[in-house]
Amino acid sequence: MNATFTGLELRRVLRDYVSMFFIAVLPAFFYLIFGAAQEFGREDAGNGNVTMHVMISMAAYGAVTATTGIGGMAAVERMQGWGRQLGLTPLRDSGFVLMKAVVAVVVAAIPITLIYLLGVLTGAEGSGGAWLLSALIVLAGAAVFALYGLAFGLALRSEAAVGAASGSLVILAFMGNIFFPLSGTLLTLAKFTPLYGYASLARYPLTEGYLFNTSDGTVTHEALWVPVVNVSVWAVILALLATWLVRRGRARQ
Amino acid sequence: MDTYTPGPAAVELSGLVKAFRSPGGELVRAVDGVDLTISPGEVVAFLGPNGAGKTTALDMVLGLTTPSAGTVAVFGAAPRQAVRAGRISAVLQTGGLLRDITVRETVQMIASTLPEHAGVEEVIDRAGLTSLARRKVSKCSGGEQQRLRFALALLPDPDLLVLDEPTAGMDVSARREFWDTMHADADAGRTVVFATHYLEEADTFAARIVMIAGGRVVADGPTEQIRSQATGRNVSADLPPAGAPQVLARLREMPHVIEATTQGHRVTVTTGDSDAVARALLDELGASNLEIVSGSLESAFMTITAAPDRGARTEQEVAR
Repeated sequence: MNATFTGLELRRVLRDYVSMFFIAVLPAFFYLIFGAAQEFGREDAGNGNVTMHVMISMAAYGAVTATTGIGGMAAVERMQGWGRQLGLTPLRDSGFVLMKAVVAVVVAAIPITLIYLLGVLTGAEGSGGAWLLSALIVLAGAAVFALYGLAFGLALRSEAAVGAASGSLVILAFMGNIFFPLSGTLLTLAKFTPLYGYASLARYPLTEGYLFNTSDGTVTHEALWVPVVNVSVWAVILALLATWLVRRGRARQ
Repeated sequence: MDTYTPGPAAVELSGLVKAFRSPGGELVRAVDGVDLTISPGEVVAFLGPNGAGKTTALDMVLGLTTPSAGTVAVFGAAPRQAVRAGRISAVLQTGGLLRDITVRETVQMIASTLPEHAGVEEVIDRAGLTSLARRKVSKCSGGEQQRLRFALALLPDPDLLVLDEPTAGMDVSARREFWDTMHADADAGRTVVFATHYLEEADTFAARIVMIAGGRVVADGPTEQIRSQATGRNVSADLPPAGAPQVLARLREMPHVIEATTQGHRVTVTTGDSDAVARALLDELGASNLEIVSGSLESAFMTITAAPDRGARTEQEVAR
């Protein structure tokens, strides 16, 4: 672990105001609009209220935006020649990946901290366990999406690819039941998309698996294995995809 | 020259081959059997046209690519080992820099990966970047970025410095400035290997030239020797009105003639042995107004790299 290198990498990301807007400010704004400002916010949502439900969702969205961006940039900058420069140093690939992972987790913690603080100030309520556990799951699960950004970067080899990866998260977040509750066929489809399991799992300490259908007011229960399987399968798919793309890149050299 | 260490060669390449599949699926041998020894303290130019295999060969010396066949040793060790020990570093032609950090941050970042390194401010100063230290890399000109890469290469205080087309894309003054900076610092006892397709660069800065074409070494020797022996001379003379085709045929049969052409009554012969050609022209072929001009390194380069077979012959001549 190289503190100077990691520190400089971290400073790079924090200095990039445009990225920080999409990582922290926008999800926080979404939380205030869709969570804190809504009348139904005080209603019960298991081990807390609906405001907290929205808070966890938006924190998750901000965290994956952060890790996707950092994963994507790592891939692109390595292929654009920085990898060759680093190849002239004693730094190993594993050391590079570790430092990027640390940076990704630290940056992902920013929207989580910001939105959870706003949550405290604007009436999100929940049990102590729900606060702590949901934050930890959001942070840990976001790490998986560094692979999502990585795969995009490796496949498309340009900075635009990183933008595309982050942009595609908006659709995945919608399909992942993050922006507002889905129901019916859309919900069934949603269960197969990559952000669904992550967001459901993050909210599990709060909801204990109960889903609220906004159109007819019914409540359904979902077993824990559904989001667990979703996250595991997507983690494996993304890891295999990234590995394959790295090998393909090497063969081209 | 180093006389104090009879240790291993700075670079030892034997039977080096790098083959890869082109996008079309056909097998390309970018480096096709290179044997080369570079002693400590030498300043050597790899001279060759684009696509000759210079970068691929240097990538293998630097441990950035593994050979398909053959071996590479840098000071008797594997390239990666030499990199880890800080004995070798490079200014890469396509070494990317991070555009969103400053010059000083770039140096700090690379320095932090090295167990032992020269001071950050020191190398910035030596590369002439002190006034630009706080500038973002994206705002630096091509020449300035190249000096930054040079600063990075100085960090490990390497025994062997590799420069891959260090001045590609620079204008004349930036090129001169780069080499001035280079000279002020890097050739004090260091082994330097640089690739270039600028002939005057090889001519001016290297003591030895290795010409590379089609993935092979086509000529190798001291700079002056390469110029005098491999270059050849242009012999021209007026021919008697009759029999020009026979004269041309006769000239082209001669062993050291590279090219013979006529323009009107005047024949021009490019040759490695101007004495023999002059004798033949005057004694046998009835020519007059004979003139012998030293060929430029450029023309030698063209003839050698365009014809690998002739190049191999030239290599033997040079070795002799």
